[in-house]
Amino acid sequence: MSLTRTLRQGLWQNIVSARKNVGDRNLTRMISSSASTKEAQKAEEKKQPESSATDLMPAPALNRARFVYPEFLPDPKMEWRNLIREKLERSDMMKRRRNIDIPEFYVGSVLAVTSSHVHAQRKVSRFVGICIQRQGCGLRSRFVLRNIIDNLGCEIEYYMYDPTIQKIDVLKLEKRPDRELLYLRDALPEYSTFPLDMEPIPLPEGSPVPVNDIKVKMKGRPWTQKWEKKGLLGVEKLEISQKNLIRMARAAKPWEKHDLMLEYRKTIPEEEQKEIFSEVYSELHQLELTRRKMKRKRMFVKPVKSA
Amino acid sequence: MFCIRRLASQVPNNFFFSRVSFIGTTQSLSSQQEGAALPVKKRFQFPSTPKVRYPLWYLKQERVKYNERLTDENKAFIKEIVHDKYGPPAIISGIPSYQLNSPLKTEPLARGEWSTATRRCGLIARKIGVYPMWDKKGNQFLTTLLQVVDNHVVKYIPPEEYKPILRVNRYLRPNKYGCLIVGAESMDPQNYTKQYTGLFNEAGLMPKRVLGRFHVSPEAAIQPGTPLYATHYRPGDVVDVRAKTVDRGFQGVMKRWGFKGLRATHGVTKSHRRGGCIGGGSKKAGVWKGKKMPGLMGNRMRILKGLKIWRINTKYTKIYVQGPAVPGECNSIVYIYDTILPLRKTYTKPAAFPTHYPEEDEQPFPEDLYDEEAHGLESPTIFFEEEK
Repeated sequence: MSLTRTLRQGLWQNIVSARKNVGDRNLTRMISSSASTKEAQKAEEKKQPESSATDLMPAPALNRARFVYPEFLPDPKMEWRNLIREKLERSDMMKRRRNIDIPEFYVGSVLAVTSSHVHAQRKVSRFVGICIQRQGCGLRSRFVLRNIIDNLGCEIEYYMYDPTIQKIDVLKLEKRPDRELLYLRDALPEYSTFPLDMEPIPLPEGSPVPVNDIKVKMKGRPWTQKWEKKGLLGVEKLEISQKNLIRMARAAKPWEKHDLMLEYRKTIPEEEQKEIFSEVYSELHQLELTRRKMKRKRMFVKPVKSA
Repeated sequence: MFCIRRLASQVPNNFFFSRVSFIGTTQSLSSQQEGAALPVKKRFQFPSTPKVRYPLWYLKQERVKYNERLTDENKAFIKEIVHDKYGPPAIISGIPSYQLNSPLKTEPLARGEWSTATRRCGLIARKIGVYPMWDKKGNQFLTTLLQVVDNHVVKYIPPEEYKPILRVNRYLRPNKYGCLIVGAESMDPQNYTKQYTGLFNEAGLMPKRVLGRFHVSPEAAIQPGTPLYATHYRPGDVVDVRAKTVDRGFQGVMKRWGFKGLRATHGVTKSHRRGGCIGGGSKKAGVWKGKKMPGLMGNRMRILKGLKIWRINTKYTKIYVQGPAVPGECNSIVYIYDTILPLRKTYTKPAAFPTHYPEEDEQPFPEDLYDEEAHGLESPTIFFEEEK
């Protein structure tokens, strides 16, 4: 009963805050890490001096956390929410993160995952591929890697908190302008081919994550989905027939972008995000710092005394 | 269990004396008229059982909240009295409740000896979500989280006094099992009726939002007022879970019974999701009883049997049971029992009998208890050894 009451209160507060920010609705938005939200991020960063000192968490840290650790935010579906379960789930995630280093990565980054496998040679399997999808939240969060091996497209889905995963390496850290890269299945094979012995491409420390705005060439039809209707940004322009244009215009819902309640139901309110991240962020930050230190140690080669 | 919400006050007075009696109350039947002239030997007959017998706890629960025009001082005074009587508000296993001050008024019941025929008490819990877990071999499986919220024993009715509703005395031997009424989730007594709060007076408890009854052997009886915890069970135990399924409303045969429907093409019009023929001709004559047809689906009590407990959280009193298929929606109430499946049952004395008393432990339990086969996420990554 108390849960529903607090949720209702939260709902009301959010309506009020949403009304205040009708012009700039990006403030209360939580979206997965896509580059289209980068501008929104920038806008928020500009606004940070306005945020009050009584906040649980500084605004830039929150803005970063919600894109780097999106799986810590629960499913916004109201019927499935339970605050205690979410708390326990978070503590379990932290337990796993103390054992294994789960780095920052996005859809479009190239990863190498080493995992224990009973049937593999030497009981270890390593797979390199581009991350084409990230989904789920909490312990169910998972990602899909795609690569082309012996001219055959291969995709493997990994659970992020699976205890059989030994190591996750980010070989190339970058973003793409789309939320999901499922269209790579119907694109030319060179866009999803990565050598299994690929060398990691280092990114200078403190630099922002680059957005790769490559335009992918698609194969000829038939496709697995109607990509021309999806409004993809990372694909070369696709031809749409006149008939489909008319149909799309008829099916369009231009009013949805003004629907505050729709937005609310799809997202976790900003205040709750703050509460969630203030619980785990300090430890996450510590883990990240130790990871950076280790990385620097690895990269640094001791100079040899000459003569 | 609580589906009949008929009020005692709505039933006419004569109805009470003719057909209705309450469980746990003694009903004196008037003996035959005295002074009969000739003693005729009558055949022995069992006393007729009333057809409708409401359980003791079928009372009107919530009170009409009319405006009582209390001043703030009065309200504060009432609150003070409530806290004096029942204890200050506290957060118990993550849920706002009340810190009861020693509800045990009398000496605890003598604890009986366990035998293989003993039936133990169960728990009332809330289903709060589905969650993946991994075993030591690295296999992933889903578990359902059940939170045991603030459970207390409210009343114990011994088998001699207990008369269950669905019982035909003629065919059964004397009652073996007593009745243990358990309540969950303490609430503010101001929101409940006088009769309903009266149920909890004897045990010295706050009124509970949810009540349930468990049939227990007399040796497994528990003193009213005793709290029940998730550690009533241990990881590795097998339980049955009873709950109301998700209410799906009026559904067609395809969803309700899994019929195939008719074809999408080939001249089928407007009957793609219909069931087709419902009766045969000639001697079969018409629609048979029990024909699967459209209708209300879900919202029925169902028992899922044989669920293994993988993990127990003692801090938030949570039980992680096998599988995602526990009936009911998220945040709905479920009842947990020891399993009745003969091959899954353990025929040894359970670790907690009649229930777990944490004050008797030498050392407090750790926060998480895992099954032997389960992999806790705090333990290191799973590696498989190479064969030589």
